[in-house]
Amino acid sequence: MHWSFFYRSVWARLLAVVLAVWAIGALEWAQHRAQTPAPLPPNATMAPQTPTALTARRALTAPVAPLAVWPAMVSAQPVGALHTVAQGDIPMPPGMAAAHASSLLVMPPAHPAALSIFWFSGDRESGPNVQIAASQYDRATQQWSAARFVVNRQVLGAQLGFGVRRLGNPVAWLDGRGRVHLFVVATGGGGWAASRVVHLRQSSGSNALDALAFAPVRVLPLSWLWNTSFLVRNAPLPLADGGMVLPVHFELGIKYPTALRFDAQGEFLGVARISARGYLLQPALVMQSSQSWLALMRDERANGKIGVAHTTDGGQHWRDLPDLALDNPDAAVAGMGVAPGALLLAHNSSLGSRATLDLSQSADGRQWARVQTLATGAPLDEFSYPAMAWVDGDLWVSYTVDRQRIAWQRLASKPARTGGQP
Amino acid sequence: MNMAWMDAAVAGWMGDFPLLPSPAAMQWGLQASWSVVLAWLGAMLAARCMGRRGAPVVVAVIVTAGVAVALAASAWLPGQAASSYWLGLAFQAPSMSAVLLCAVHLRAQWARWWAGHANAPQGAAPLAGSGAVPAEFAGRDAPRVVRWCTPDAVLAVLGVLLGWALLLDTFALLPVELYAWGFRPMAAAVLLLLCLTPWLLLGWGRSGGLGTAVCAVAVMVFVLLRLPSGNVWDAVLDPWLWLALHVHVARRLRLCY
Repeated sequence: MHWSFFYRSVWARLLAVVLAVWAIGALEWAQHRAQTPAPLPPNATMAPQTPTALTARRALTAPVAPLAVWPAMVSAQPVGALHTVAQGDIPMPPGMAAAHASSLLVMPPAHPAALSIFWFSGDRESGPNVQIAASQYDRATQQWSAARFVVNRQVLGAQLGFGVRRLGNPVAWLDGRGRVHLFVVATGGGGWAASRVVHLRQSSGSNALDALAFAPVRVLPLSWLWNTSFLVRNAPLPLADGGMVLPVHFELGIKYPTALRFDAQGEFLGVARISARGYLLQPALVMQSSQSWLALMRDERANGKIGVAHTTDGGQHWRDLPDLALDNPDAAVAGMGVAPGALLLAHNSSLGSRATLDLSQSADGRQWARVQTLATGAPLDEFSYPAMAWVDGDLWVSYTVDRQRIAWQRLASKPARTGGQP
Repeated sequence: MNMAWMDAAVAGWMGDFPLLPSPAAMQWGLQASWSVVLAWLGAMLAARCMGRRGAPVVVAVIVTAGVAVALAASAWLPGQAASSYWLGLAFQAPSMSAVLLCAVHLRAQWARWWAGHANAPQGAAPLAGSGAVPAEFAGRDAPRVVRWCTPDAVLAVLGVLLGWALLLDTFALLPVELYAWGFRPMAAAVLLLLCLTPWLLLGWGRSGGLGTAVCAVAVMVFVLLRLPSGNVWDAVLDPWLWLALHVHVARRLRLCY
């Protein structure tokens, strides 16, 4: 039989197509199967707070939606009225005139540092010498350590095998093994609209600041269009399986928010669009319950309000809600659900200016009441890009001051009175 | 209408998770793929230049091969000296389909030299299946639909439509998340079926089956290596190839009508 039979006979071609599709399908299935352990029994789908690698991987395979965890429930302290008990500036790297976009990371309880903070710093924003700086808050001395750079774009480019034009917002996360992950905005051939999100993982044995080093995992594949124009800004939402959901946004021409899911080891699991409204960016994920979350978003329009989207199935499906009543001067917000009925939001509260940074609290995510003004100044002053963390019953807030330095505040929580007890 | 199937298809993080290439594989793939694309680009431009100048075959072969080898090697230089370093900065890695097409055309050009036609302008002696001047357009006696309906032409149109869909998805203008669907394990099999369907229905005919073969091999290589990004759409179509397909389809339309 001549080989040309295979393209002259439609039945032979059909057989070839079926075999080829079957072979590819089987190979794909086998590859996924090989990396997917058997699922846990139904009563074991809720993994522990800090799972081992195996339990975390198994939890992913169970047919359940992601479950978020409360930061305040870990410390088992109720949330009460917040008031500032300490504040100051984070030490800057020597000689650097610009600082912006800080990200706070809560360290494990046994770690000498209570918090790590990452931000980008250089001569100017989007300057060629911008690097990712870091500092840690020492539990013993109650001081921030001297800053040092932990990510450099030339080194990063050499590790990736292709260039990185500029570095931008960093976002930090601690995985199930206690390794620090950094998600960093890295631009390609253009400005911020040509950004990509680079995922780096701690490569050093210790996550103490003096030893901290990172190696790139990959550039996250988020877009078909040369993988451009996705940026990261706000903190991830931790999940009960040890993984997290990382909010990102697209910003080439139009803006829209998206959420990425990662497992306990920091492996990329998938993507879900939060909203298709073309003017919302930099979502901050705020949990109301384990599966009910809000995404509070910056609005780039003039006279904008804080945008909102809501999910009730752990981020698999989102629906838009009406904007909040809070003004938003095209400025980033930071939010977190601390405990049931205790949602916090740091935001610039006036139109056309980032000169006032407020902290507000809500029970339902719709009605917000100002707790206090964190910072305020002249109309041209800027207190922006807040980040929040909850540590041992205290709220920590960091924010940019005039794009020149990073300030921090520690707000103590007076326990709320309950049951008529004094 | 029961939309559960669509929910299952578009829900990115339920069920199976993406398999992504390792950083080392991505870096190797980036350099290798740009190496092939640059070699083709260099060879094509050099051959055209030599052809227009009427250079002797030996000179044309040496110059063209030299340009191709030099450009291919430039992708493997260390650090910022590498062309792939800067091309990756701007465009990441090309699709596997684009790399395979470049490799096929590079090989075809080399074959033409062996046949003693190094100085022939591109397109004057078209490859079977290259789509440059397809054989079915030589005579205009056949009905237009028949002249159009070759597997490669159908695939080219599908590629153009797919690119538009992915572009709209990039700007969140589609109701489903098409790019995210490319991470799902069944996406490769479905895409392979889509690639082979024109060939199944139409056969290769006189136009050859370059597009069909390239798409099928690209999907198979993707399944084995996950390159370039772990997303099957990136393996079969990149924006530059999509733009080239527009030109290809426009040329076919012009030749046909």
